[in-house]
Amino acid sequence: MSTLTRVRGPQTRPRAHRLRIPPAWLFIAPSFLILGVFVLWPILVSLWYSLHDWTIGADDQPWVGLDNYVALTQDAKFWGALLHTAEITVVSVVLIVILGLALALALSRESIGNRIIRSAFFFPTVVSLTSIGLVWRFLLDPELGLVGGIMSSLGLGTVGFLQSPELALPTVIFVNVWKNAGFVMIILIAGLKGVPTERFEAARLDGAGPWQLVRFVTVPALRPTLLFGTLIMTIQSFQLFDLVYVMTGGGPLFSTDTLVTLLYREGFVNFQTGYASAISWALFLVIVVISALQLRIFRYNDVD
Amino acid sequence: MHHRKAFTAVAVAAAVGLALTGCSGGGGSPEASGPVQLTVWTGFTGGDAPGYEQIVKDFNASQSKINVTMTAEPWDTIQQKLPSAWLTGQGPDIAAPAPDPNVIAQYVETKSVLPITKTGTGTTDINVDSFAPALVNEFTYDDTLYAVPANYATLSLYYNKALFQAAGISSPPTTVDELKADAKKLTNGDTYGLVLADNNTIQMWPVLQWLEGGDVVDSKNCSVLGTAEGKASLKPWVDLVVNDKISPVGLTGAEADALFSAGKAAMEINGPWAAPGYKSAGIDLGIAAVPKATNGKPVTLGSTAPLAISAKTKHPDEAQEFLAYWTGKAAQKTFSLASGFPSLRTDLADDPDLAADPVVSIFASQVPDSRLYLPQVPKGTQVDTDAYVPLIGNLTRGTSLDDATATASTTIDQITGCSS
Repeated sequence: MSTLTRVRGPQTRPRAHRLRIPPAWLFIAPSFLILGVFVLWPILVSLWYSLHDWTIGADDQPWVGLDNYVALTQDAKFWGALLHTAEITVVSVVLIVILGLALALALSRESIGNRIIRSAFFFPTVVSLTSIGLVWRFLLDPELGLVGGIMSSLGLGTVGFLQSPELALPTVIFVNVWKNAGFVMIILIAGLKGVPTERFEAARLDGAGPWQLVRFVTVPALRPTLLFGTLIMTIQSFQLFDLVYVMTGGGPLFSTDTLVTLLYREGFVNFQTGYASAISWALFLVIVVISALQLRIFRYNDVD
Repeated sequence: MHHRKAFTAVAVAAAVGLALTGCSGGGGSPEASGPVQLTVWTGFTGGDAPGYEQIVKDFNASQSKINVTMTAEPWDTIQQKLPSAWLTGQGPDIAAPAPDPNVIAQYVETKSVLPITKTGTGTTDINVDSFAPALVNEFTYDDTLYAVPANYATLSLYYNKALFQAAGISSPPTTVDELKADAKKLTNGDTYGLVLADNNTIQMWPVLQWLEGGDVVDSKNCSVLGTAEGKASLKPWVDLVVNDKISPVGLTGAEADALFSAGKAAMEINGPWAAPGYKSAGIDLGIAAVPKATNGKPVTLGSTAPLAISAKTKHPDEAQEFLAYWTGKAAQKTFSLASGFPSLRTDLADDPDLAADPVVSIFASQVPDSRLYLPQVPKGTQVDTDAYVPLIGNLTRGTSLDDATATASTTIDQITGCSS
């Protein structure tokens, strides 16, 4: 017996060593592989493209160094697109979060009526941006749409919301807010359910009014949820494409051009792949900086 | 046990590999037996689509060695997918890459398209000599032909007979002066005289400029918008839109068509693909030739979509044989009768059946006077999106003629590399 155990000892040890690769790694390996191939690799390749005068399929891809980035800084359309992207993001996110919070506070109590109203507000979230864009575009058609019809029957005359360079961007922002406020409302309601009722009781006993309850109990307790909602909405607004593409195509007169519609046009219509890649990197850097700032402002790592 | 494990591992790896590379076994793989399979991608989804489908159906029925499968998707989708699909050899054997003939230059540059060599006068040859000459020039680069026209359309003047009658106008305008006068007269609180689209559309404004003796670029690809003729050709129409409101501002092609279909516009300049939609909308429809220009000569826009063969096709001969059939006399006659398009062939101009068709004959009668938009202008697509569309957009929203044409000219000369 004693010999047997001595022999078995060294044999089993290497096996134990081999099994040391944590199984967790094996489980996440497929996800890593897919992320690597479909996310990381294209990101790196686009950086490589952006340093060339790249034409998909050409034999010769001339190296231009940072010329594409220099050209960006001198391109009025790029700055216009950046400005519109910033306007869409700032105005949309602020309105979406405020509206979402207001709706969440108003509709958080469970009742059949509240559930129906919540569903109505949440419904646009489920529909694709393309469908929403098409429907709104039709509704807003000054000659044939419902909105135009109502306005002219009220004697207000027709307004080309999407044909006017001044009104097109606010209109796109309005539809973006309309679509997303319901989503933020739902996640904030979920967040509200997690706030212990004792805090409200304690605050009330201390003499807090309704506004003070919101200001000093609800909002601080919702901070992680608000951070999540703000971050997601910010990134989504920066990347807004479908809605703009379907509703205005970046027009009229480039007044709703965003970074993504611009890079689409440069890449897929004008076939300037290198230049389009440079735009995508500019967008990437903007999103990284803004996200870092938001994490900082909301003090994500701060433990209450 | 070990073997089974190894086998499973290989199978999983293979499955993952296939999934990742997107291999699905399709895309022109050689058949062990049976006919050669050819795939065709096009963006023909409008009223003319059944005409193209008929060509494919007739071709497949006419012989047994080649079987063609054609799919139609929106042009946007084709334009996004095709460059990389052809590059990787995954794409179709044949495609219409875009409705814009200029786009072929891009594919020639990347060596993605096959030179067309099977030309001649026989029925299985591509009868290049019988095509309208402008079309052959448009697809020839460095003396090599890279595509054939999938169609050739001219623009005509659609008019709403009921609205004409209500305004007391008995016949459609035949001169540009009559066109302007009628457009004004037909405009009232409810309807627009002549609906004009300026973006995402078949070009209408260049036709108006040609009618007034102006143009966009000269033979050196330099802008002539800022010249006296250029400005004079834009001014009357800008005034009609801005002051007389003959058309809403900033319309897409689809929006302009919708207005005409709804009976809210009395006239529209458009191609033969629009006729079926207008008829089914119940419009009391009239179609007339575009009125004569100020110099007394007729002119209109001609438009063609290219059909090109992938440089990586495994069946170059069969693909060219199919294009020979598509552009052949029999198929083109059937297509014209089905779609209302004029023929891309000059030898069908006097065909009695086509001449007897009221729609085809009007579009066909204008073929000799038709011009392509920005033919072979370098980066013609970009000239349109970055300069011409904004030019019209600015002018119709009140920017002065001098400022708008100066800006557009600078942009155009920069894009085309004009060196006058």
